[in-house]
Amino acid sequence: MVYDIAGLRVRIENKHEYTTKFCREYLSEDQTSPCDITASVTDEAFAEEKSLSPNFSGGYIENICLYRSICQQMPLRGRMLLHASVLEYDGNGYAFLGKSGTGKSTHTRLWLTHLPNTRVVNGDKPILEDTKDGFIAYGTSWRGKEGWGCKGQVPLRGLCFLEQAKENSIRRLTPAEVTQRLFVQILLPEEENAVVATLELADSLIKKTPAYLLCCDISETAVKTSFEAMTGREYENSKKAGNEYED
Amino acid sequence: MKIKKGFVLREVGGETVVVPVGELSKTFHGMINLNETGAFLWRFYTVDHTIEEGVEALCGEYEVEKETAAADVEKFAAILTNNGFIE
Repeated sequence: MVYDIAGLRVRIENKHEYTTKFCREYLSEDQTSPCDITASVTDEAFAEEKSLSPNFSGGYIENICLYRSICQQMPLRGRMLLHASVLEYDGNGYAFLGKSGTGKSTHTRLWLTHLPNTRVVNGDKPILEDTKDGFIAYGTSWRGKEGWGCKGQVPLRGLCFLEQAKENSIRRLTPAEVTQRLFVQILLPEEENAVVATLELADSLIKKTPAYLLCCDISETAVKTSFEAMTGREYENSKKAGNEYED
Repeated sequence: MKIKKGFVLREVGGETVVVPVGELSKTFHGMINLNETGAFLWRFYTVDHTIEEGVEALCGEYEVEKETAAADVEKFAAILTNNGFIE
């Protein structure tokens, strides 16, 4: 079947039913026109993934492999996978990044709790597109264990790398620092042209998108700190009315 | 000494990085970050050259003492050898 993913027509050749249900929201109304990408899973790729996660069903394993196949083909089409949680606030996108367990989900939840007009575009694996006006982040069916996300797209206004700390602070990262931190959050394909395209996309992302390091705890002050630095707005005038009475 | 085929060298965020491609990407994950001297030597040793030729090239490119250049090239060669990047 053909799906509309990240602005492209993607043909997914799955053997298991799992992915058909998983992606139904993205099913294309046009099943006949040519496609940009065809994703399928080789027996070799399936076996490798199965050996890493022996307890998961065949459908689930195939589903992971299919997204990898899609994302490895994205760089030659001006797009790349970013391991991040992307939130939309007032029409603008903000990406939160960090090693597993640093609190991307927790910080995302804090924004949702304290700020109005906020939604998750993709809680874990958005696809980014490089455009002349900056990068765009897309929601996809693949969006992490919390399943946070929606079908939509948002202009990406900032990258925020998270580290746990006792005090909240934020600062801009230099391009060299972003390079170091970004590499562990992107998918490097194997094929040479695709690798070169990925590196060019990463360079463009660093040039076009301001990046920050947020050292944070899990309090409301953490949201205030990242919100004010990334949006340039005052938190007190922007937060949800009466949220101090919520949990 | 010659660096194996199967690496891509690019500028990202003003840094020079090297990333494995193809078969090499299955055994070596991640990226290598090179400083200016490292980037120069990496490019130089994508073609087969001796250690002495590397020292000479480095002295020709930068204003460095021969001993310093020799130490740099040997350190560079050791890192590459230890990681299995040499043909």
